Amino acid sequence: SETRAATRARTRTGPAPVTDVAKLCVCDLLVAQCDANCCCDPDCSAADFSLFTTCSVPIVTGDSRLCSQKAAVYSLDVEANPPERIFKLIDQVNPSIFCIHATNYKQALSFSSPEMPTSENFDQLLKEFGSATFSVEPDSWNMNTDAQGPADANETYRYEYGVPVQTVDAFLRLPSPVVSSWCSDMNPAAFLVNQATKCTRSVSVEGCASIQAVSMLFYINSSILAVPKSSQMVNITVQSVVIQSLNGMQTLLNGSDVLRLPMILDELCINVVLGVSYHLTYTDAGEIIEAAASFVLGAINQEALSIEQSFEISFTQVNTTPVPLSGNPGYVVGLPVRAGFRPRGYPFPAEILFAALNTNRHGQFTILQSTSNQDCLAAQGARTPILFGYNMVSGCKLRITAGMKCQPLAQTLLDLLKGQSFPEYVASFGNSQAHDVLDWVPITHLHTSEQRIYNIFQSSCQIPVSLEIAVQWTKYGSLVNPQARIVNVSATITSTTLKQLPSGRERTIPITSSVVFTDISPPAEPGYKAWPTINAKLPFDFFFPFV
Amino acid sequence: SSHQLSSLPLQILLYVNGIYYIFYFLATLAMIVYKSEVFSYPDDFLAPDLALLLIMAVLEALRLYLGVKGNLTEEEAPLGLSLALTVGSVVLSVYFLVWQTYVLRADVLVNAVLLFSYGLESVLKVVAIAAFVS
Repeated sequence: SETRAATRARTRTGPAPVTDVAKLCVCDLLVAQCDANCCCDPDCSAADFSLFTTCSVPIVTGDSRLCSQKAAVYSLDVEANPPERIFKLIDQVNPSIFCIHATNYKQALSFSSPEMPTSENFDQLLKEFGSATFSVEPDSWNMNTDAQGPADANETYRYEYGVPVQTVDAFLRLPSPVVSSWCSDMNPAAFLVNQATKCTRSVSVEGCASIQAVSMLFYINSSILAVPKSSQMVNITVQSVVIQSLNGMQTLLNGSDVLRLPMILDELCINVVLGVSYHLTYTDAGEIIEAAASFVLGAINQEALSIEQSFEISFTQVNTTPVPLSGNPGYVVGLPVRAGFRPRGYPFPAEILFAALNTNRHGQFTILQSTSNQDCLAAQGARTPILFGYNMVSGCKLRITAGMKCQPLAQTLLDLLKGQSFPEYVASFGNSQAHDVLDWVPITHLHTSEQRIYNIFQSSCQIPVSLEIAVQWTKYGSLVNPQARIVNVSATITSTTLKQLPSGRERTIPITSSVVFTDISPPAEPGYKAWPTINAKLPFDFFFPFV
Repeated sequence: SSHQLSSLPLQILLYVNGIYYIFYFLATLAMIVYKSEVFSYPDDFLAPDLALLLIMAVLEALRLYLGVKGNLTEEEAPLGLSLALTVGSVVLSVYFLVWQTYVLRADVLVNAVLLFSYGLESVLKVVAIAAFVS
């Protein structure tokens, strides 16, 4: 009857606890089998008992603090032949004067059965036990957090790095690819995290007016909250709109305050958003004061099933112009090496360098870029920025014909190799400022000649055929976070003699330029703080009368 | 036989009761503190026990004062009031004997002694009132 009652109770609560000491057996572990040396096991027969050596559980009692309680005593009578188990149910008396005579508190002497979760009490149980610590009195915990609430309301919120930028309805969205390349609109833009994402969106000409994500309105609709949880709103203004035609040609629109919504025109859907670039201006108090969005709108035709959208967000501090760094302070691999000139003719401390006139750091220090047609003279001046840590080799082929004049050819090749504005100084750290002269490394120019044999006829001129830029860098700073620092930059131009060709013949010589980064870090030395010294010096007039 | 109607045994008993009650109060309070440390004694159960102990102390002081006054001035009114308050003290003592959250063996002992002395006192008070009235 006890098991039937237990199964009935199991539907609402757990199984009822066993409290009868005569039926309680902690060494009965095997079901329907006799456990060795377990005198209280009901599965054991008298024959099994005769094989035991001792009783592993000699006594089973309840709480020993009670004044009088029942106890089941098991023992083996080894004198008898065969040995038999003796089971006695006795009243055990606690002699202490502080034993519990009676208790009116039901949960005092036993563990409480946990509440079984049902659909009614699930929320309350989750609130009580759902966190890392169990609250004994969940209501008092809630009161504490509520008490902090009004106090926090007086405290001003502000955005911090990484916090999602909040808008009126949810968050500022920057659609990005999640698992596949399809756009997911649930990616929030984080404060001060410059992001650029590209993803694919499925479109159709018929549905282009109904798909929200291809319309400008979707991206500037909700206003951004200036600080989290506030009512101050910043509207997103349209900074510029670029219309991209089907063949890829982009034109900038003049008046940019007109909202262009997608519409169907001549079997094309125009004003489809192909790219959005957000620029948010913030103050150093963590408040967003301005938001602008630049759009690239395009058109899709009947055959298009999907378009690629690109999104970008960048943050600028108010009253500053952003200077893009290539590392802070050490160079980051993959970012362009910063370089510049020292302006001449400045009357007073010409210790002012400014970076190359294009603040675009990708244009400061460049090498020749190889093109698909490898003709040097038709190269059109394509150059690629030198990225820190990336060794590069590029080149082209020069076709020398009979009538070529040496001197102009040498100058052309020099311009080709060095580019229009070859810098004089390279920043030694990624964040070197233009006014710190010592942070800039001068470029050493070297010339070598391919000719081994010294030609006494110096009439033949030399043409440069290769430019090798060797950048030596070292690890600087602490062992756990070494920063890359450029120590030495040398540009070696190798020249060769241009031999005059008989007419009708032509020769092709390769022109190469390369950049090599070498790590010249010395082995790391641990630096210890100096032991404190006892600065015990006698005052100078200590031996006054005698000195 | 003598002109003095005040009951000497009652006076002795009241005096001894006063001393014993001080011991009883301190012992019960100490045991409640011990129980709250050793056993699980939630606040919902601890508060009534402590409150009733304090009420009992106040009641006991009042009761003993009235009893002594009535006995010495040979007036039946304070003595009768003291007898009535004894009923309240008996109820509280029974609470600590039976209905407390944890009743230890020591609790049983002190409360049994207290109840015995209350019983004896009540008999002596009735006799004294009868003597004063007549």
